[in-house]
Amino acid sequence: MKPKMLTAVALLLCVMTVPGCKNTAAVKPVEAFGAYDTEPDWNDSTKLVKLSYQESQGKRVFYQYCVWCHADASPAGPSNRSNLNPVPPLLNDGEKLNGESDEFMQNIITLGGIAMGKSAMMPPYGKTLSPDDIKAVIAFTRAIAQPACQAPGRPGSQYTAK
Amino acid sequence: MPAEDMGKLTYGTRLTFAAATVACVLVLAISPIKDYRAEWKKYKRAFVRYAQGRPDTKKLLADYKPDIDQVWLPGINVTDRCTTCHQGMTQSSLADASVPQPFRAHPPIPHKVRDWGCTMCHRGQGPATEVAEAHETTLAWEQPILPAHFLQASCGSCHHQDLKEAPQLARGRELLTRLNCQGCHKLSDTEKPMLGPELSSVGYKVSREWIYKWLKEPRTVLDKDGNVTVNGYESGDESRMPKFRLKDEEIVALSAFLSMQKAKPLEAYKINPAIVAAWSKKPDLLPQAEVRFRQMMCTTCHPLAVTRAGETKLIGGNIAPELTKVGSKVNEEWLVAWLKDPQGYLPRTHMPRYGWTDEDLYKVSQYVMNKLTDSDLLTTVPKLDAPTDEQIAAGKRIFLEKGCASCHALEGVTPQRDFGPDLTALGAKNASELEFGKAKIAHNLLSYIQAKLQDPVAVNPAARMPQYTWNQEDRDAVTTALLSQTGPKQTNALEQLVVPKTEASYQPVGDFAEVYERYKCYECHRFNGFGGTLAPDLSYEGSRAQKKWIADFLKNPQTIRPTLVLRMPQFNMTEKEAATLAEYLSLSVEKPGVNPESVDAKQFTPAMVSLGKQLYEVKYQCQSCHTIGSTGGYVGPNLNNAGNWLTPAWTEAWLRNPQALQADTIEPRRNLTEDEIRALTAYLMTLRAGIKPQTGSSAANVHASGQGAGR
Repeated sequence: MKPKMLTAVALLLCVMTVPGCKNTAAVKPVEAFGAYDTEPDWNDSTKLVKLSYQESQGKRVFYQYCVWCHADASPAGPSNRSNLNPVPPLLNDGEKLNGESDEFMQNIITLGGIAMGKSAMMPPYGKTLSPDDIKAVIAFTRAIAQPACQAPGRPGSQYTAK
Repeated sequence: MPAEDMGKLTYGTRLTFAAATVACVLVLAISPIKDYRAEWKKYKRAFVRYAQGRPDTKKLLADYKPDIDQVWLPGINVTDRCTTCHQGMTQSSLADASVPQPFRAHPPIPHKVRDWGCTMCHRGQGPATEVAEAHETTLAWEQPILPAHFLQASCGSCHHQDLKEAPQLARGRELLTRLNCQGCHKLSDTEKPMLGPELSSVGYKVSREWIYKWLKEPRTVLDKDGNVTVNGYESGDESRMPKFRLKDEEIVALSAFLSMQKAKPLEAYKINPAIVAAWSKKPDLLPQAEVRFRQMMCTTCHPLAVTRAGETKLIGGNIAPELTKVGSKVNEEWLVAWLKDPQGYLPRTHMPRYGWTDEDLYKVSQYVMNKLTDSDLLTTVPKLDAPTDEQIAAGKRIFLEKGCASCHALEGVTPQRDFGPDLTALGAKNASELEFGKAKIAHNLLSYIQAKLQDPVAVNPAARMPQYTWNQEDRDAVTTALLSQTGPKQTNALEQLVVPKTEASYQPVGDFAEVYERYKCYECHRFNGFGGTLAPDLSYEGSRAQKKWIADFLKNPQTIRPTLVLRMPQFNMTEKEAATLAEYLSLSVEKPGVNPESVDAKQFTPAMVSLGKQLYEVKYQCQSCHTIGSTGGYVGPNLNNAGNWLTPAWTEAWLRNPQALQADTIEPRRNLTEDEIRALTAYLMTLRAGIKPQTGSSAANVHASGQGAGR
């Protein structure tokens, strides 16, 4: 009966170690702490920040350099748009700007209007703004476009308003 | 047992062995099964499935490894396994919002995840391999993920300098300074406190009734739409004076104590009686006085409520007290003495000392006392008799107990040091270190700060902290700034990466210093990084402007920007003062390398001028932003008088590279050849206009914007 006893002891030991394998270190989050800790649904667009980092940097650049002619009002009051002919598009004018590629936008900001066959009143900003600044402004343009901008070749654009 | 039976096993023994073997295999299988079912492995496999369903599978899975991925940067104490599940972090094709988390790419930011890790900005538990442990508060880890809305707090814990890329943090820091939080709390990264007015002689300035009213009902309240209003008018800024939870008898005592503060006798100024006699009889005194009041441009610094087209709103600057009802607040004798010599009443005031004529002084003081009033202001104040000794003694006690002395200097009262808690490491506190009292809020740092700002007593009934009036946006901004106060860094390597805040100072000497101090030039203008931002930076004024123009401008300031309404006040400077300023500015305040003498306007030929005009009007179309004559844009300065205003050397240097002279200017740097620069300068130098008389234009449509005021 000795081997039987041994096996029984071995079995007993094995059974006893099973609960020991359970990971007790993982403590469930305390519920009362939970409210601000995480956004419950990471895919809920209403709980995400409205502008991404790049878009919000674009907004900052826009309000320093572009707002004077590409918005209805400027930080100093009246807009400079009415002084210009042809009248420059508003930045959120999706009907005009959604059709222009990112590359075209990048070029016209960098090189100025005349280089792209548009008005000379649009000055070149390539030596003033960094390429990242310019990309950011374009991202901001796409983000606030009305109607919403559907970027080509992407399933379900990040800019579609849902 | 017989010896021959030793090698044979009974049926029962065999069965036992079989069972034991199966059990052992099962036990051995537990570990691999558990491992296979680990939470992070599910995300690993899900990513492979997700990638296989996309057209760019090969690219997405190029670096795929089935193990735990870890960013390990021992120097800055980072061990982050977040990329184990967040596998699309650096895949540009996964930037779209339609990509499910945790696979979405990180939006482009200046810091690379391989150099900095994730928890440096997002907080949370880096080495964790389970979703809940990584993101949330557990019993073992109390630094949960920072919600994206407050993420700029992390920028501030390393970047102590001003950070234009993080506007919410910058606003929060601005508010911490503006509301003088440093009066009671220890904080880092905020500028030196802007103290409340000194009260040593306040008994001459206001009545006891007014003090009672002020303490009882601060004029700042939140309206039903959540807008901060001052005197009932919507305001973009918080009032600096918070509401203290005072009982009626405490207010009576405090008002008694303060109304007796007359440390320095008021030196009354007597306006020439002939002028008073002549003007007081005129029926159009007040309309005329209003014109003069507006011409003095008080609203460049002081906000004022005006009604235009049925809509009342606050206009004007925000660097001085609001004036809408000031006539019902101050004593007339004090007002005249104050306007004549502000430093006589408050030696450290921000208000410049104007060169008043008696006529102007009479008109403006009459306008303030008769028009900027509210007859109902003090109707709710009970009858207050002469202060008794007990009231005064009680008032002094309350003044100390409530911490009034932390913001208001008062002769004979020493403020208590470290009146409020040290907040320099608040942002790194664990929830278990905070006192939540009976407040029904989530037990974490963020809710604690928000609740404390909203209503300090709700968290701690014995709190001494007064009640501020916030809108949601400003409260979030202050929360962000407070969360950024994380104290000293854990490692030396990190501490060395911190970008410190630079303190600028500018200390002129001699005659200039005297005039500079009298007119408080630095309240609006900036000199070598020191001073206000309301008006143009004058650090290089000597290189930019011609000496004669500076002197003429100072005597009769005209706005150079067509849309500007916050304009330089007319100080009535004497000839000598204007000459002193012009002399100093043109000689000492120069941009290195731009010597005003280096380009002589005499070398310009008519051919260059006509080429320059051609370039200005046709090739570069400068008129889209600049006005010459009556046509052109509003964006840049008016160039009508450029020939008298700018030096040719500055104009050339500016056309070559505007940002080298003024980093934040919006004028783009263009590809001009040296010949074109010469020609444009030659043309601009021909533009000369006589200085036109100043018109008393209204102060409507003011937009208090540093940008708009930049020249």
